[in-house]
Amino acid sequence: MDGFSAFALLLRFRALVSFLIIVAVWQLVAALGLAPEKYFPGIPAIVSGFLGMVANGELAAAEWRTLLRAMLGLAGASLLGVGLAILSDISPAFRRGFAPIAALIQPIPPAAVVPMAVFMLGLGPKLYAFIIILVTVWPPYFNGVAALASVSDIQIRSGQMLGLSRWQILRQIKLPAAMPEIFAGIRYASTISLIAVVVAEMLAGHDGLGFLLVRKAFAIRIPEVYALMFVCAANGLVLNAIVNAARWQLAGWHLRMTGQPA
Amino acid sequence: MAMDVVLSAQGLTKTYGAGKDALQVLGGISFAVNRGEFVSVVGPSGCGKTTLLFAIAGLQGVTSGTVTFNGRPVTAPPKGVAVVFQDYSRSLFPWKNNRDNVAFGMARIQGLSAAQKRDKAQEMLDAVGLAGFADKYPWQLSGGMQQRVAIARGLASQSELLLLDEPLAAVDAQTRADMQDLLLDLAIRFKQTCVLVTHDVEEAVYMADRVVVLTRRPTVVDHEIVIELGKKRDQITTREDPRFLAARHDVMTSIRGQRAHAPASAA
Amino acid sequence: MSLSRRQESLRGLILPVAILLAWQVLAWRASTPLFPGPWQVTLSIWKFYPQIVGQIGYTLMRAASGFLVAAALMIPLGILLGRLKTVGAIVEPIMDMLATLPPPAVIPVVMLFAGTGDAAKISIIAYAAAVPLLMNTYEASKTLHPMANLVARSLRFSRLETMLRIDLPASLPMIATGLRLAVASALLVSVTAEMLLATNGIGVFIQRQQENFQIANGLAAIAFISIVGLIINNLVFQLEKRWLFWHYRSSDTHGNG
Ligand SMILES: Nc1ncnc2c1ncn2[C@@H]1O[C@H](COP(=O)(O)OP(=O)(O)O)[C@@H](O)[C@H]1O
Ligand SMILES: [Mg+2]
Repeated sequence: MDGFSAFALLLRFRALVSFLIIVAVWQLVAALGLAPEKYFPGIPAIVSGFLGMVANGELAAAEWRTLLRAMLGLAGASLLGVGLAILSDISPAFRRGFAPIAALIQPIPPAAVVPMAVFMLGLGPKLYAFIIILVTVWPPYFNGVAALASVSDIQIRSGQMLGLSRWQILRQIKLPAAMPEIFAGIRYASTISLIAVVVAEMLAGHDGLGFLLVRKAFAIRIPEVYALMFVCAANGLVLNAIVNAARWQLAGWHLRMTGQPA
Repeated sequence: MAMDVVLSAQGLTKTYGAGKDALQVLGGISFAVNRGEFVSVVGPSGCGKTTLLFAIAGLQGVTSGTVTFNGRPVTAPPKGVAVVFQDYSRSLFPWKNNRDNVAFGMARIQGLSAAQKRDKAQEMLDAVGLAGFADKYPWQLSGGMQQRVAIARGLASQSELLLLDEPLAAVDAQTRADMQDLLLDLAIRFKQTCVLVTHDVEEAVYMADRVVVLTRRPTVVDHEIVIELGKKRDQITTREDPRFLAARHDVMTSIRGQRAHAPASAA
Repeated sequence: MSLSRRQESLRGLILPVAILLAWQVLAWRASTPLFPGPWQVTLSIWKFYPQIVGQIGYTLMRAASGFLVAAALMIPLGILLGRLKTVGAIVEPIMDMLATLPPPAVIPVVMLFAGTGDAAKISIIAYAAAVPLLMNTYEASKTLHPMANLVARSLRFSRLETMLRIDLPASLPMIATGLRLAVASALLVSVTAEMLLATNGIGVFIQRQQENFQIANGLAAIAFISIVGLIINNLVFQLEKRWLFWHYRSSDTHGNG
């Protein structure tokens, strides 16, 4: 094989290649003792920590809870955000009234809300629903408002010429046109929803990955801590994949138009 | 006349890609440019004019052959060569106003203070008829005006050789005529040696002291023709001049003749 | 004209006022200190603002330090990686992987290495801000139009000059997006880290109020955070308008005379 095609092959599997590079570098650092071994275990130790948590069922329980919370929260926040965006598009009074509320709530980090919300909502699903939605609605909402407002006049006029009602124009023209940008918001929201869940679990939870992460850290079970971080990152990938699947369903035309050749 | 050769290209070939996807664009191009000369290089779209110009400018390597500028081989952009790009609107920087865009052409010129460069840039903008637009941004101008900013930047560096890649292909016919005269005028005024690459036969003949006619891909020089019309040109009288018409006929015949063969050779 | 303007903005007030009123009524009906209304929160703000401002000061100092460290390292690195195609292609999936890891999840590990002091917190914040900054700068630098590079080469710029004078300004719009995300990320992680590695800062303040069942005080602190966030966002917006006007306006008025 000549150098050129070897390089092409390398790029093809670069995700795998760079994963292997990370693993190799990690193991090298651990083996050479560049970092204190106690805090920086080698790959085998991390893998056995991971397998240990799999074996005693800890991991599956925590993972399932965290992923479910993040997914439901994301779905709820996306629907709510798009709903609010549509409402803002229909009613200028609502838009004007809601804009300052959004501007004030949007910068509040989830961590600040958790301790207060615990009193009002307990430690159950209500707490998670509240925290996730409070921090996750904004990207779909802001993108939705901007995208609905910037749908081209010509497209809307064409709809009017076809005799579509306001509602039909919204459903059949404005929403599809706004979908790509809304999904850009939802994609970002998926990252935030996972962050919000982990933060809430770390600070107030009694289960889930965030809780487990803190518990293992305080118990100085370092290999498990790293394994859990890896699982957290994997959840990000899972959420991303789900959002991408939904985007392909709802805004696939845009993907086909702008890149991926058929 | 004692010829002072500024630029010479010898046997330039260029093949893009490799294996099945290989595309030979240049098939061994040779020509030379003398100091003070205005040379047009004319060939059909896609024949490799931009490729050739980039090779001359040292912006892109060739597969074989050599380019020499002032007797020295060109491997990287040499000092003393300026380029006006075909895609001019992208070659201007939207965060700089027009004066600073033009002054940017002098970025590597030593011995001029920033203020002097700015004055010089203003002077060049005046020369291309954009005196009042120095503080405006490129994106506030029409396509033709942006092109004039790009030309001003090319002239501002006072390079020994100015390379122009289809600078007028994207402007309307009236503007094109005006810009042709403007370019000629500036070339005479600044004694600027120019190589103009174009697919427009009339433009090539109208502008040049000498026209280099290219063939289809793999492109070589078909022939050269000296335009004996003097330095001063005029949109009406020059274009009616029998010598202009003869030259146009000659170039057109060679380019159209190749096209006539095209379907046969493609099939 | 100005009358209808005023009418419009009055109508815009209906919703916020209605929400505040509804909240107040619910709080009265609940009549427990665990569910304070806006009035109690206002009283808490009045009583505690010196303390709250002081604690937010600690938080912001750390957030700003971490953020600056990240910006100083990641913007140049992003531009460089965008230029070095091969290295960039290998590093890209690593960045993607780091981006999917929620930044608060690194807190426990950093705590093990660096303890619970300011250095630990600043490192965590720097990490949190680094990811969006690096990703956006890299993406901007990678997708720069090749024309920019050609112009740079024909002007005989060195690599460094090209990066400073062309790549950096051309990438600024996307870097600004990264900066906005990084600010949010830095604030989020600051508060979380304070709550887990308590010493001082607004996160600690909120936690103390929780322990003492002083919900109204906690909400007062949240109100301050939100206002600080609003001010920072506004500042970023103003700076963008000032430095990136060419980006927004050139995409509006593309090519008219
Ligand atoms: N970087 C490249 N890689 C592969 N093919 C190229 C590249 N640049 C140009 N070509 C091809 O080479 C031919 C000549 O291109 P170009 O020099 O731009 O022609 P012209 O400027 O005469 O229109 C075209 O068919 C074009 O598609
Ligand atoms: Mg070309």
